[in-house]
Amino acid sequence: MVTSGMLRVALPLLRSDLEGIVYLYPVKCLRQDGGDGVRFGNARSREMSMSSRYAFESLDKLQIGHIRHFDNLSRQPPNQWKLMKGKGYGQEDFGGFRFQLAYMAYALALTHRHRLPAAPGVFKPVFERLIEKMLLPEVWMYWRDVSRGGSIFNAHLAANYREEWNPVGRDNIMYSAYVQSMALLYGYLFNDARYAQPAALTFRFWSYFWGGEAKCFEYDQNSLNDHIYWQMVESGYLGVACEPNCVFQICNQPAILGFRMHDLINGGSIAEEVTRSYEQAWKDFGRIGDNGHYHIMMAQDTKAVRQNIGKAPWVDAWTGALLNMWNRDFVHAHYPRQIRDFLKPGVDGALSINVPARPEVMGQRIVTDDCDFGWITAWVSEMGDAETLRGLLAHADRYMAPAWLDGGLYYPRNDLVENAEGVRTLVEPMSGNVLLGYARLNIPDGLWHLYNEPWEPAHFEEPAIVAVGSDVDISRAIFDPENNRLNFAVERRRDVSGDGIVRIARALARGPWSLACDGAEFARGSGTNVQIAGAVQVEIDGADVVLHCPERFAHSCVMAFEPGEQDSK
Amino acid sequence: MSGAGSSSPASIGGPFRLMDHDGHEVSDQTYRGYHVLIFFGFTNCRLVCPRALTKLSVALDSLGPLADRIRPIYITVDPERDTAAVMRAFLRSYPRFTGLTGSREQIDQVKGAFRVFAERRDDHASKGDYVIPHTAITYLIDPQGKFAAHFGDALSAEEIAGRLRSLLEPDKAPCERAPTR
Repeated sequence: MVTSGMLRVALPLLRSDLEGIVYLYPVKCLRQDGGDGVRFGNARSREMSMSSRYAFESLDKLQIGHIRHFDNLSRQPPNQWKLMKGKGYGQEDFGGFRFQLAYMAYALALTHRHRLPAAPGVFKPVFERLIEKMLLPEVWMYWRDVSRGGSIFNAHLAANYREEWNPVGRDNIMYSAYVQSMALLYGYLFNDARYAQPAALTFRFWSYFWGGEAKCFEYDQNSLNDHIYWQMVESGYLGVACEPNCVFQICNQPAILGFRMHDLINGGSIAEEVTRSYEQAWKDFGRIGDNGHYHIMMAQDTKAVRQNIGKAPWVDAWTGALLNMWNRDFVHAHYPRQIRDFLKPGVDGALSINVPARPEVMGQRIVTDDCDFGWITAWVSEMGDAETLRGLLAHADRYMAPAWLDGGLYYPRNDLVENAEGVRTLVEPMSGNVLLGYARLNIPDGLWHLYNEPWEPAHFEEPAIVAVGSDVDISRAIFDPENNRLNFAVERRRDVSGDGIVRIARALARGPWSLACDGAEFARGSGTNVQIAGAVQVEIDGADVVLHCPERFAHSCVMAFEPGEQDSK
Repeated sequence: MSGAGSSSPASIGGPFRLMDHDGHEVSDQTYRGYHVLIFFGFTNCRLVCPRALTKLSVALDSLGPLADRIRPIYITVDPERDTAAVMRAFLRSYPRFTGLTGSREQIDQVKGAFRVFAERRDDHASKGDYVIPHTAITYLIDPQGKFAAHFGDALSAEEIAGRLRSLLEPDKAPCERAPTR
């Protein structure tokens, strides 16, 4: 640890945040082509085991609560956005629905990859509902107006811009990359080509009341990926703009995540090409300003970089949290100095943040959700700075009124920046619904591990929980190939309605099996035969084993397969 | 309905009219029946173009007779300086390549069709001069004039040759991005 005044900031090269395990990373070495990179050798294997060990720990109640809140929000009827509306107008700012939907998906991806790898059924339907919402016009119709330019960044260019209906046609990487990366994450995580089908990602708008003919723009995960890739090429790899003329570092990172997922699914090396070229392109400008903080954006017309002079926390935090996935050494090297400018010590280990007053622009007060606290917390989680993360979450739990609704945990919107004691209480929906949960669910270098440590093909052949009832919580789910057993923990909730089902796929082909919960055998089977000895009703449904959990069921279970007696694999 | 948005690889490339380094007018139609290997650059380029043209020449050399089915062309992004004569002289070191130039409008049109980035900047190493950082991708167009593949700058001559071979040899599927699982 490095001590700085009253703040203690974790040194990212030395970790001791997990049960006394101390390990050193990142490992920096030279690629064979002479560039800087991370070698996939013994160091990688060592880190793989470190990341996968989280799957042997059970999720706690708070983590389960965040997942359930994401699930609850995803289940809202179309165009019901309860708890999700921020201060800003028209889905233009960082609190927009698109960001909430996308980072819920990212948090779920991280949780599935690192903590519940054998429970795709917990995440897949939520992912599908989040993507379905991403495609709703309410989420992307802001682009018809924003595409016309006229903001302070591009007012002088407004005459050259025209109204655009296609939300991914040009610029707007702040939306297109999230659709692309969400669809490709889904394809990778669930080994499912649902969004690779023609027109699987269609942006459609028609109103009875105005606008003339229907507008319809059809893509799939690969055509959208290609489209964004070629926009990246055309930009000289500096990146694709968000608002016209404005290339944000932050908003091009999700596209890179999408490229990587595309490569994992289809083969190829788009992500490697883009990241290498992106680094080269930004070398002329630098990515860090004189004050040590990330540049915010670049103007395409003047190639002028806008520095983070005001030390806005969200800029460093959002950039750092994402950039870490492919540029870990760089991000970790700058983190200690950057975070020191933001943290504000509180009582009993709680940590808040310093947020400089935002200047007026054109005589106007800017009304947006910057989500500084949420982004700082998410960034700290990615950095593996466990003590700072604890401090920030302690502050949130103490001063940001955590609430439970339908089994879900969130921090309700609160527009009051500080309470009477000067303690930060501001909560934007993006922070309270998503980012604090993201931070609690993430693991150290979680995005890095997701990006750099793909599952082996065998993962998709292993037994897994592929569906659960809406009243079922899964707090652990990992297949242990060495011992040929599926470990999982199930709780059937009383406060949520559902059928209590846990469906396990890819199990029968492994031969005779037994199911034990908290040490007591509940069932045993082979082929289509099942012998039940406990309270759980177990049936074979097609190729799946289906558990019907009784009310109040809460157990740690092991489904063990007998080696050498596989009967049909 | 309006606005069919799609970005299949087929949207890369398209018609063009330019002049080759011998002063003959050419178009995309000129190369029908051949695979066309296209690289964009400028003859004052000190690093990227010489490196790429050398690498592509090595790749083509290694293909043997298969290379006869390929027409390698080098399109300038600097038509103000790269006249036909300048390009002819420059490409003596890369004899497999035909240089193409044209008016500024023609060049901008073909750059746009291939989504090429090229932007003029002052040359800090030579006062009053300029350089043009540009896309270093190599494009392959099939004999019907359709985009077939592209090769990034990081690929070696051997890798490019291997991909060209798999794309050109009969009975082999064009599988630049083969599924891994």
